Amino acid sequence: MSKYYLFHDQKKCIGCQACVVACKSRQNLPKGPFPSLLITIGPQWVGTRPQMAFAFMPCFQCENPWCVAACPTGAMQRRPEDGIIIVDPNVCVGCKTCMSACPWGSPQWNPETGKVVKCDSCYDRLEQGLQPACVTVCPTACLYFGTPDEIPEVRRERYARAMIHDGEQEN
Amino acid sequence: MTDPTCKVNDLGIWLKKQMDEGKFETPRSRQQATEISGFLSEVCQGLAEEDHITAIMKRADFLASAGETAEIRGAGKKIISDVEENLEIFLGHIQTHTCPSGACPMLTPAPCQMACPAGIDIPSYLTLVGQGRYEEAIDVIRKDNPFPWVCGLVCTHPCEFMCVRARMDAPVAIMDMKGLAAEKAMSARQYKNPEPKPDNGHKICIIGAGPGGMTAAYYLALRGYRVTVIEALPVSGGMMMVGIPRYRLPREVIDREVAMIQDLGVEFRFNTRVGKDITVAALEQEGFEAYLLAIGAHGSYKLMIPGEDDFPQVITAVDFLLRVALGDHRPPGRRVAVIGGGNVAIDAARTSLRLGSEEVTILYRRTHDQMPAHHMEVVEAEEEGIQFSFLTIPKKIHGEDGRVTAIECVRAELSEPDASGRRRPVPVEGSNYELAVDTVIPAIGQEVNGSGLERFEDMRWTRRNTIQANTLSMETHQARVFAVGDAVTGPATVVEAIAGGKKAAHAIHRYFEGFPQPKFPRAPTRRGRMAFFQVPAALKADLKRVEMPLLGNERRRITFQQVRLGLDDTQARNEARRCLRCDVCIRCGRCVEICRDKMGINALELGYMDFDHPGKTDLKITAERCIACGACATNCPTGAMQMTDQGGMRVLSLCGTELNRLKLEYCEKCGAVIGPARYHDYIMRRIREISPKLAGKRVCLDCARQETGRRHVEMAPPEKE
Repeated sequence: MSKYYLFHDQKKCIGCQACVVACKSRQNLPKGPFPSLLITIGPQWVGTRPQMAFAFMPCFQCENPWCVAACPTGAMQRRPEDGIIIVDPNVCVGCKTCMSACPWGSPQWNPETGKVVKCDSCYDRLEQGLQPACVTVCPTACLYFGTPDEIPEVRRERYARAMIHDGEQEN
Repeated sequence: MTDPTCKVNDLGIWLKKQMDEGKFETPRSRQQATEISGFLSEVCQGLAEEDHITAIMKRADFLASAGETAEIRGAGKKIISDVEENLEIFLGHIQTHTCPSGACPMLTPAPCQMACPAGIDIPSYLTLVGQGRYEEAIDVIRKDNPFPWVCGLVCTHPCEFMCVRARMDAPVAIMDMKGLAAEKAMSARQYKNPEPKPDNGHKICIIGAGPGGMTAAYYLALRGYRVTVIEALPVSGGMMMVGIPRYRLPREVIDREVAMIQDLGVEFRFNTRVGKDITVAALEQEGFEAYLLAIGAHGSYKLMIPGEDDFPQVITAVDFLLRVALGDHRPPGRRVAVIGGGNVAIDAARTSLRLGSEEVTILYRRTHDQMPAHHMEVVEAEEEGIQFSFLTIPKKIHGEDGRVTAIECVRAELSEPDASGRRRPVPVEGSNYELAVDTVIPAIGQEVNGSGLERFEDMRWTRRNTIQANTLSMETHQARVFAVGDAVTGPATVVEAIAGGKKAAHAIHRYFEGFPQPKFPRAPTRRGRMAFFQVPAALKADLKRVEMPLLGNERRRITFQQVRLGLDDTQARNEARRCLRCDVCIRCGRCVEICRDKMGINALELGYMDFDHPGKTDLKITAERCIACGACATNCPTGAMQMTDQGGMRVLSLCGTELNRLKLEYCEKCGAVIGPARYHDYIMRRIREISPKLAGKRVCLDCARQETGRRHVEMAPPEKE
């Protein structure tokens, strides 16, 4: 993993796709590639209610990335300083081996340039002290980005609240 | 490659850089700049119309006048001045679809087309011939050369010297393919003239009905000019008719192609020598507004040896060939010495043999390898029994009773290479000997006979006694007078005269239209971008150059029947498939580099691509090594290298040559294509170290993502009511 962590609070997400659009527009991408993708599950019946859920799928920035191992040109690389995995477009020749190697389908194909694009946690924005594009545009503020210790304990808190709430009701 | 950079391309790169650096801050200016950049890129790809220039200028004007910053206004001004200064180059890109600098990959012409003096779009017509579309091939050729049949038989084919296929085995038989196309089209009555423009009333006088003059006549007539060709001889064709012998170029070939030009309304006046049979003043009176001098080089250099002027049996090759061409078929003598090593000497020797001379010897002062004559001609002459005496310098012609009896020669040796690297023949003292002959035919060069042109007073002549003319516009120093062909270049080739004729026609048209004459040599025009032949690599590699069938040697020695018998459809079909389509593949070698240096696979052994150091070419090796990653195709700047999925296979092809074909595999979940097994094996080998127990699961990218997303989703249990 990179030294950062992106947390998606699925409870708050409304599936508006703003993150996906911001991601594409930051990299000026044509039709086709989605460096980050919001996957919609459902609606499906859960118990007595129909439910929908959304999973935000940026690059996980693996600790031991297969894409980097598969890349024969050295274009796909892990930044030593923060562990973010980036593609150097000047080196990438478009062999797509990283795309086939990645178990999560993270590296994407840009048909206009004939090169791979991927989520790079907006490292250029981070260097300017900004948040990744997807995080900044989220209207429900369900995306959190930072070092693991900076991420709020949303899920634990919510779980704790639920427990207390449940206890109150039982009493 | 005249200029390593292209002004259009340069401007595009510069503008992109400015945009990337954020020089166009405001949306309004950025929009204009983006549009200009798009138009420039279209010009560089041959997708532009002449309106593009106007559109670029309009937006540049906006930037220059209404730009928000000084930098933007400066950029606008630079674009305007760049376009104005290089308008010819911009228009060239748009009109000819070629960029001879090679900087614009899509517009880089094939080496054969660049080598052709007439600039014929060779790859396009080869493809058409290979498809059996002969009449369309003729249409393509005649856009640049109105004599495809003549040139299909006797051209010196400089194209074949540049043919890239020669670096693999032997050049494509470009000339023979043209000859076949013309013959087939003519025979099928499908050899047709384009529709000429309406009569524009201007009268042009062309002096000389040779290839240069008649080419100009053709292109001028197509543009609606009223053309009259004045010819001193009783026949048309110039040196094609009276210089080239019939066994190389049948008379019908010339007659039929001249008839096509006549059909366009060009008037021919034979037996009319300007200055003798008709005066320039009389021509002026007839209302001719421009003149084109295409009088050729029908004079002969003299040997400058004693006896040369004393005997009627000493006849120059030009006069001899003229006499034979006009119907005098008496042999020049029994034992003939031809002096010289060029094509004319070979023609004179082979003609003498056919007329019945018993022994014909070519005397040449240098060696076999230094003969300027075309190699095939020399070989054919040797086959027919012409004798050669090299390193032989004639000294004197001996005779008795007004008849030649012998020629005295001296042997020569080649000197050490001089400063220019040339080895000169040096006579060996005391090696004189006599060769018994009764006829001597000097063929040591021709010169222009300019008598009759004295009335063109301002016209200047070069030291070599040729007409001085601007090589781009063919203008002479005399106003309204243009000149082409051997009269300008000195004795040269048919195709060079044709090239000159075409240039002159353009220049004369520009003169009447009031356009400025070109400042740069006109690039050849791309006439099309034909579909590739789909050919397996093995066939592409193994097809050998077609061998031209020749007339039997016995018959060659005694008749003027055509020696080279021509190709047939099947041969032409195969020959066209040998073409490497250098009009599309510009041999930049990027595919080879990527496969070898970046991917480390080295599946492309295309050594022919390197012009300076051609290496080994093996088209068949690709199928053994290639993993079908497609990086070569992705990075090909012209679309020559292509990777496509067809019929369950992934196919890699270079200009239609199928280099590799691998069976596709499909996603286990959705059935989408996920590439061939060899490709996946390659990736698995690379990631084995870090994922030793990877299952051979085959899912596509989308399914992999969906599945991961599904695993990550928190579908909570229903909250309690």
